Amino acid sequence: MDEALIRRAQGGDATSFAELLDLHYDTIYRFAWKWCGHAANAEDIAQLASMKLATSLTQFRFQAAFTSWLYRLVISCAQDWQRSQQRHDHDELPDEEPMTESSRPEDGIYLAQVLAQLAKLGEGMKETALLVHAEGMSHAEAGAILGVSESTISWRVHTIRKHMGQPQARASLAYE
Amino acid sequence: MNEKSFEAKLARVSAPAPDPEARLRAKRAALEEFARVHAANQAAEKASEAVSKGLWDALRLFRDDSSHGSTSMAWFVRRNLFAGVASACVVGLGIAMVWPIFSRYGEEPVFATVQATIEADIGPPQESVALSEPPPRALSAPPARLDERAELAASRASGEVQLRKEAEKAARSERVQTNIEPKDGYASAAPQQEGAEEIVVTGVRAKLQASMDMKRQSTAVVDAIMAEDIGALPDANVAQSLQRIPGTTISSNNALALPAPESELASEAGDKFQHFEVNPLRRVADEPVSTFSVDVDTASYSFARRMLNEGRLPQKDAVRVEEMVNYFDYAWPAARSAEVPFEPTVVVSESPWGKGKRLVHIGVKGYEIQRNEAPDANLVLLLDVSGSMDSPDKLPLAVSSMELLLGSLKPTDTVAIVVYAGAAGTVLEPTPVREKEKILGALRNLTPGGSTAGAEGIERAYQLAAANFRKGGVNRILLATDGDFNVGIDDTEQLKGYIERQREKGIFLSVLGFGQGNYRDELAQALAQNGNGVAVYIDTLNEARKVLVQEATSSLFTIAQDVKLQVEFNPATVAEYRLVGYETRALRREDFNNDAIDAGDVGSGHTVTAIYEITPVGSQARLVDEARYSQNRRAASRGSRDEYGFLKIRYKLPGESKSRLLERPIPLASSSTRPELMREVTFSTSVAGFGQLLRGGKFTGPLSYEDVIRQAQSATGEDRFGYRAEFVQLVRKAQAVQRK
Repeated sequence: MDEALIRRAQGGDATSFAELLDLHYDTIYRFAWKWCGHAANAEDIAQLASMKLATSLTQFRFQAAFTSWLYRLVISCAQDWQRSQQRHDHDELPDEEPMTESSRPEDGIYLAQVLAQLAKLGEGMKETALLVHAEGMSHAEAGAILGVSESTISWRVHTIRKHMGQPQARASLAYE
Repeated sequence: MNEKSFEAKLARVSAPAPDPEARLRAKRAALEEFARVHAANQAAEKASEAVSKGLWDALRLFRDDSSHGSTSMAWFVRRNLFAGVASACVVGLGIAMVWPIFSRYGEEPVFATVQATIEADIGPPQESVALSEPPPRALSAPPARLDERAELAASRASGEVQLRKEAEKAARSERVQTNIEPKDGYASAAPQQEGAEEIVVTGVRAKLQASMDMKRQSTAVVDAIMAEDIGALPDANVAQSLQRIPGTTISSNNALALPAPESELASEAGDKFQHFEVNPLRRVADEPVSTFSVDVDTASYSFARRMLNEGRLPQKDAVRVEEMVNYFDYAWPAARSAEVPFEPTVVVSESPWGKGKRLVHIGVKGYEIQRNEAPDANLVLLLDVSGSMDSPDKLPLAVSSMELLLGSLKPTDTVAIVVYAGAAGTVLEPTPVREKEKILGALRNLTPGGSTAGAEGIERAYQLAAANFRKGGVNRILLATDGDFNVGIDDTEQLKGYIERQREKGIFLSVLGFGQGNYRDELAQALAQNGNGVAVYIDTLNEARKVLVQEATSSLFTIAQDVKLQVEFNPATVAEYRLVGYETRALRREDFNNDAIDAGDVGSGHTVTAIYEITPVGSQARLVDEARYSQNRRAASRGSRDEYGFLKIRYKLPGESKSRLLERPIPLASSSTRPELMREVTFSTSVAGFGQLLRGGKFTGPLSYEDVIRQAQSATGEDRFGYRAEFVQLVRKAQAVQRK
């Protein structure tokens, strides 16, 4: 069902593409939100990803699951976005505190702490943690999305676990 | 603990729903892009560049590097304005929530605060917005401090006419949204009443700010949770939210049993299941003998039910078909005495999963111990009281479940309580059930959380059980947990070994699983198997009633141990066979006669059902081709032509170490086709079909959820407790989820 839709969209049918995007925008946005912990930034990333989807949908070859492919696309958009932020927007960041309209206030705060820590661990760590823990994927699936082997993911998960066990990584409640 | 809490918390983080405004914007931009790309494919490449510039290009947040818009535009279009405006005009919420705080010393502070609290308590914040449409006058007078940011953003925008329009549109559509479900943010635009200036900070931001201000302004030590937080936190009621403030204790003396609300916040991401492949089709010529251990666990069904009730399909590895089938009680003929505790029933029927195939049902109903002849019970409840149990579907449900259990015990039975992971130690020495109040008091005083003290939990539990050992009675530890097995022995293998050694001494262990997000099904199964117990998953109080009251005797009193089944198929009549489920219970052929090999135990009145799908010789449905060179060997088989195979069951009576053997031939046609029996066969077939569909339906042919529903509905029978009706509902839910 999804496949037929994708094929029509690849063929240039705008209605099918709109339908496809409707189906997946939530996934894109939610993952983007988890990636940056900030609603407005997530909207930016989601918009970037939607546009990228439009341009590169024809490159999807049905070799992997569409959602895996989509995750890869969102991650690459998020990374591009971050790079562009670092390049242009140094003067604009003071109000960057991760206040979110999250359904639970402590989520945003906790997430921001974790994301900052994960970013320090090195490249790919944040993506790995999000895919494996927040999205509940298997190591193999995460590996396929990030383009690394399953054992690399396992190693990363292990490293993350080792580092995140430290006390400052633990969430404090939102009212402190 | 730490790693666990990190992973579990990450898994539980739930992203907010996307803003429909942003969604629409993204969609337009993407469609624009889509049109551009496909136009480019068709027309000459140069021309397409020009075509692409449209209205929506101007509103797009990000441009291609090739197009250089005004940088100041880009700056404005960015965060401040959009974040402010897009989330703005949740005016009712803003005023209703913020006003009481700033008029704290004003005229009606108490009333206003109470109102806000009640609103938050009634439903999610968004609903309260819809309920309390604000008076227009209030719009223009938001408290000064809070709208500073918004005004700043608005003043930045004031120069840009187009942006301003955009902001107004956004504001308008936002307003529309509070009244009706918006199909399109730009549809049905209301007449413009206010400009872009009245921008109101959203509820959460205001709440955090307000509670911070309250703390700042106060002269005494104060901590505060604002109304909206109370609504948003995963607590069942206001009292529980207040408990989140450090130092606050709320006690309840006559706690009512809380029902387990479905927690939508948790996710299955942290739940661990053992991975296994579905049993393959086997050729009788290659492998005529199939051996497995019985499995009376039902955790898989309750877990799947919970997932489906939340509108999700369970993970494939969470679905163990045999546990789903065995969840239901079937009216197989019961055994007559405790000496021969089984009377196996074999029924052959047509398979609904493939033309030309047949099903062989092997049904066993264990001997039912009567209440008055039940042996004395010496139970030790080992409860996890770590912080992670702090959820209505965990510790409170566990406590309510234990209360139910007390009702099904004899007055002379004893119960002791040991806790671990929070405050470790003995909470209640072995106490006879007739002192019910004392036991209930101890149970109700349990609170989750606290520091992780010495985790000697499990050893303490076994010590208590041993000190109070009832010879000839039931000595059992009931471990209630949400997946945290930090019971004092860290190494899993060591823990299994410990439980196994205790089993030799006659003290058994059962595992009751609660909650989700962190549930470690795999380990729960392993421990229960090593401890000669059952692993059950309790998602609701109703399930607790089923497991601990109705089936109390079967969960507690074992009538046969190490029950193994072996079926040898007759190559003269059966070409291929496949065992449905029992993947995690497979045994080697030689294990069957080896009494040292552990297998599943059957409790009083338990029913165990195993289903084989067979392809008779000569059927068109064969999947594997005849091997060319082994023809002769097959022809030489001596099997009788009126049997499909031969069933053997080995079991030990409780306390015995030597196994006994039961044997039955599997006839071509069932000797008894009583309608009640056939009804049970139909129902178990429908459950097995459902389980296989959830696992991907590799061998179920054209079977659909519709077929499952039809089969199940035709076979609900008496269904005294409504379990079978519930099953039909569950299939419908799976069908709906899959369609989505």
